[in-house]
Amino acid sequence: MDILPQLIINSIIAGAIYTLIALGFNLIYGATKFFNLAHGVMAAVGGYSVFYFAKTLGLDIYLAAVIGVLITGLVGYGLDRLVYSPLRKRKASNMVLLVASLGAFTAIQAIIAILFTSQFKTLSQGVGTQRIFEVFGGVITQTQIIIILAAILVMVGLVLLLYKTQLGKAVRAISDDEEVARIVGINTNKVISYTFFIGSAIAGLAGILVGFDTGIEPTMGLSLLLKGVIASIVGGIGNIYGGVFGAFLLGFVENFGIWKISGEWKDAIAFALLIIFLIFRPKGIMNK
Amino acid sequence: MNQSTKWIIGVVVVAIIGVVYFVSKGPSQPVSTEPIKIGFIGPLTGDAANIGQNVRAAVEIAVNEVNQAGGVDSRTLEVIYEDGQCTGNVASNAANKLINIDKVSLILGGACSGETSSFAGAAEQSKTAVLSYCSSAPAISQAGDYIFRNYPSDLYQGSFGAEYVYNKLSKKKIAILYAKSDWGNGIKNVFVKRFNELGGTILAEEGYEQTSRDLRTQLTKIKSANPELVYFLGYTEASIPGIKQAKELGLNAPLFGGDAWDDSKIWTDVGSAGEGAMYSVVYAPLNSDFKSKMRTKIGNDEITICTPQAYDAVKLIAKVIEKVGINAEAIKNELYKTSYTGGVSASEIKFDSNGDLVGANYIVKVVRNGEAVEAK
Repeated sequence: MDILPQLIINSIIAGAIYTLIALGFNLIYGATKFFNLAHGVMAAVGGYSVFYFAKTLGLDIYLAAVIGVLITGLVGYGLDRLVYSPLRKRKASNMVLLVASLGAFTAIQAIIAILFTSQFKTLSQGVGTQRIFEVFGGVITQTQIIIILAAILVMVGLVLLLYKTQLGKAVRAISDDEEVARIVGINTNKVISYTFFIGSAIAGLAGILVGFDTGIEPTMGLSLLLKGVIASIVGGIGNIYGGVFGAFLLGFVENFGIWKISGEWKDAIAFALLIIFLIFRPKGIMNK
Repeated sequence: MNQSTKWIIGVVVVAIIGVVYFVSKGPSQPVSTEPIKIGFIGPLTGDAANIGQNVRAAVEIAVNEVNQAGGVDSRTLEVIYEDGQCTGNVASNAANKLINIDKVSLILGGACSGETSSFAGAAEQSKTAVLSYCSSAPAISQAGDYIFRNYPSDLYQGSFGAEYVYNKLSKKKIAILYAKSDWGNGIKNVFVKRFNELGGTILAEEGYEQTSRDLRTQLTKIKSANPELVYFLGYTEASIPGIKQAKELGLNAPLFGGDAWDDSKIWTDVGSAGEGAMYSVVYAPLNSDFKSKMRTKIGNDEITICTPQAYDAVKLIAKVIEKVGINAEAIKNELYKTSYTGGVSASEIKFDSNGDLVGANYIVKVVRNGEAVEAK
C-alpha cells in the first residue's frame, strides 16, 4: 500500500489544528507583544465546556459547541480584565506578563482537574457513528474534515476582521505602535480585551475539535500551545498568514520526518525545526 | 524604612509564625501514640490517573482495616498521599518531600515505572524503604537494596506476550507500537528479543511520546507493513485515541496489549473499535470479600491493575512494622525474609535478592462487547 496520501492527510489534519492555536496566539501577540502562555489552557476550557453542556447537561452538540466557544472567549476576556490589563496599566514588563500568564495557565488547568477529574475523556459518541471518507487512497473522518474547514474559515474570518472592520484597523494600529494608537484616540485597553476574547475563542474552538477527534484532558493545553508557538515562530510571530504557513509546515515536517525513521522522533523533529529557525531566521518566514 | 524592607520583614514574620505554630503542634504529643506515617506515590492525576485513583481507594481500605484491628503496635497507620502524575520529575519532587519533610521510613509506590526509577536513587541514599505496587520495568531490579516491588518485572510479561502471540495465536509477522516510557521500552525490548528467538519477524517498530495523542502516522506506517497482529503498549490516555485511529485508518489486524490495558475505561470509550483486542495481565486471586469492599468504597465494580497489589502491600507493611518497628533498615532486612500468603494479588508474596517479586502468573483477557473477559 502506498502510504503517501495518508501521510499528506495526517499532515494536513495536524497542520489545521496547529493553525487554530497559532491564529489566536498570533492575534493576541500582535496586539500585546507578550507571550501569552495561558492561551494553551483555553483549548482545555473549550473542550471541557462542551463536555459539561453536551454530556452532563445533555444539550445539543452544536449548541454546546457554540456555548463552549463563547465561554472560552469570555474566560480569555476576563483574564485580560482581571490580570493582564491591571499589569499593563502599571507598565509591567513583558516578562512579568509572561509569568502571570504561566500562573493563569497552571491555575486554570488545576481548576479544570478539580472540577472534572484529570481522566482522559472523549467528546465523540463512539466510533461507529463517525463517517469515514476515502480520498486518493487515504482515509479521513468527518470530524477531521470539519477541523480543516474550521481552520480555513477562521483564517478567512480573521483576515476579513483585520482588514475590513473598524476593530481590525484598531488592532493593526496597536500592533504597529500602541503609543501612537492611543494618541490618535484608540481605546487600546478595550481593543486588546476584544482581541483576547476573539483569540481565546479560537483556541476554545481548537480544543473542542481536538476533543471530538481524539479527546480532552486538563493537561491538553501545553502540547497544543507548544506546537502552536512553534508554528507562530516558524511562520513569523504576530503575523496571521505566517502562523498558518508555519502550522502546515510543522504538520508536514513532523509527519513526513518519521516516514523513514521510527515514530518516537516526532517531537524531536518538531523542536529541531524550531531551533533551526531561531538560529537562522528568528523572525520567521513571513516577518514584517 | 522603604517599601521592600517592610515587605521582607512582613514575609519573614509570617513565615516564623507559621513555622512556630506547626512545630509547636508536633512534639507536644507523646511519641509512642503518634501515628506511624508512610508515604504513598501514584498517578492521582495525569496519565494512568484512573489506576492511581483506584489504587488509592484500595490503600485507604487496607489502612482502615489495619487501624480498626488495633493499628500497628497500638499506633495508627497514616498514609501521606502524593501525586506522581506518572512522570519522573513530579514523582521525584513528591519523594523528596516525603523523605525530607515528612521523614517517612517507607514509601509505597510509585506506580508507573518512570516514577519509581526517578526517586529510587534518593530513597536508597537516604535509606528509605520503597515498596512499589505497580512498577514493572526490568531496570528496577537493579535500583537498589532498599527498593522492593510486589508487582512482577516485565521480563516475565514481555516473554509471556511473545510466546502467547507466537505459539498460541500463531502470528509470526507482527508490528509493535509502544509508549516511550520505562514501562513501554522495558516490555518492548524483552518482547522483541523473545519473539526473534522464537523465529518470528517484527515488521515495524514504532514508538511515540507518552503524552502524544496523535498516533496516525505511526499507525499509517504499521498498516503499510501489513502485520498479522499489532503489539500495542500504551497507557489509557494514548490507547483510547490510538485504538480509534487504528480503526479509522482501516488497520484491521488484531491488537495485543500490555497490563496497562486492564482499565475498563478504555473499552467503554473506544466502543466497537476495541472489539477483539487482547492483553496480558497479572493473574490476581481476587476474592469476593475484596471485590465487595471495593464496590462499597468507590460505588462500582472497577478493580484496575495494581489495586490488589497495593492492598496487599499495605497489609504486608503493617505486618513487617509490627514485627521490627519503623526503622527503615530493619524494615528492609525483614522484607527480604518475609513471606506473605492469603493476599488478593498473588498466592504468595516473597522477594528475591533484587527485591523483586518471585514468580508471576499471567493470563490473557480479550474484549467482548466492551468488556474484558479471560481468554480461553
